Amino acid sequence: MKASVRPYAFSIVGVAGALVIWQLLAEAKVAGTALPPATTVFATLATILGTGTFWSSLGATIGIALLALALSAVAGVAIGLLVGSFESVKYATLAVLEFLKPVPPIVILPLAVLVLGPTAEMSLLLVVFGCLLPIVMQTVDGVQGTDPVARDTARSYGMGEGEILARVVLPSAMPYIGTAMRVAAPAALVVTVVAGLLGGGPGLGQNIYQAQAAGDYAGLYGLVIVLGVLGLLFQGATRLAERRVLHWHESYREVEPR
Amino acid sequence: MRITMRNWVIGVAAPVLLLVAWWFLSADSTDPFFPPLQTILVRFQELWLFEHFQSDVLLSLGNLFLGFVIAAAAGIALGFITALVAPVRWMLDPLIHFLRGIPPVALVPIFISLIGFGTQMRVTSIALAALFPTMIATVDGIRSVSNDLLDVSRVYRLTRKERVLKVLLPAATPQIFSGLQVSLQVAFIVMIASEMLGSSQGIGAMTLLAQQSFMTADMWAGILLLGVIGFLVNILFSLLRRRVLSWYIGSRRLARAS
Repeated sequence: MKASVRPYAFSIVGVAGALVIWQLLAEAKVAGTALPPATTVFATLATILGTGTFWSSLGATIGIALLALALSAVAGVAIGLLVGSFESVKYATLAVLEFLKPVPPIVILPLAVLVLGPTAEMSLLLVVFGCLLPIVMQTVDGVQGTDPVARDTARSYGMGEGEILARVVLPSAMPYIGTAMRVAAPAALVVTVVAGLLGGGPGLGQNIYQAQAAGDYAGLYGLVIVLGVLGLLFQGATRLAERRVLHWHESYREVEPR
Repeated sequence: MRITMRNWVIGVAAPVLLLVAWWFLSADSTDPFFPPLQTILVRFQELWLFEHFQSDVLLSLGNLFLGFVIAAAAGIALGFITALVAPVRWMLDPLIHFLRGIPPVALVPIFISLIGFGTQMRVTSIALAALFPTMIATVDGIRSVSNDLLDVSRVYRLTRKERVLKVLLPAATPQIFSGLQVSLQVAFIVMIASEMLGSSQGIGAMTLLAQQSFMTADMWAGILLLGVIGFLVNILFSLLRRRVLSWYIGSRRLARAS
């Protein structure tokens, strides 16, 4: 029992140590006013948390990320099923998909801002651009990984193509799609923040930009801390949702301890 | 699965057709947002080949490379220390997870306020943001080394140095490379972001500046260049990975074939 307490003790020491070092560095004014003391940051953070603008920004950030994620999921799975089901479509899209895959949404940010302006639609477009392709690619892999025997069995039971797609191919592609969603969810949050920070879209990214431009360093650090916590929550939530949705699949089944 | 002649033709023809369609559909375009492809390519050649090649393209790529190399070296080293020394792992774990939750681009404003707008800030931002994926993958890689391997190395009485360099490092390399790939993408994104946030040099800065001054063709040329760089960097990395991990890829193929 004693041994299992030790990691937590070390963790507390680690976090406390980091905070103390931060405080000491700040009070020694190693970076002038640009590094505010931890105490000031947390006091500012408490004030920020009391304002309505903060909560509406937080709402905008989460709302844009989730909406874009949902749009990408629906469109991505649909496109992925299409591309994965027909050889000719797969080869026709191969070059374009492979070229766009390593291109991050920040590359088309100037274009999005130019056409749509600093709006929620602009952020939405960028997040969808970032999340869609990974979901498409994974869905294609999932479709092609379907057990051919299961497919043939369904066919010999007289299922139509549509029914096979819905009841055999899609379920067997689900773990792939689940993996894609787990990667896409935190990415959606990141891109929403980037769109706000660099493109002026609504949300916490915009607040960070304003804090930096106004020299409100305590507010800047406070908001970044909020983003860190939010990022952790997003990661945790998607992992939980993935387990929930895919609990029936063998790779997620939990073995009962005997 | 053999790639048939027909699929080859489709695979090559589709992207070519797409480009041709873009060329002709945009040929007489007077839409200020979507200039003719010809104009974009002319500006591309004028800007990047080679007037701004040295001052901006090489600068951006140099920052990217330097930041990534620092992140890779530090990430692998820190990963080894964290994985092998339990107290360090317990101490750093919560901090690392928290820092990982922060969108990497959100760190850029902090570095701007601490270090200023220079090259140093950009390399620091890239290196620090790209550090975490490699570090976390290294820790995971070492911790998933099979116990049999460790037992055998103990039976052969390998020294600590031999165990780290000849057993743990090779066994963890596949995972380290997955982490490096993510790090590279993060580095690319942060490279662009650090240039877009109040710098006047670099491809990202020039692209955003062109957008803000409504020089649309220049903006498109910048987007095109960034897209091509993102694609090429990824290809180069894949080639490197295939070289270094040829033993691993080969053994995987054998395992699948048997």
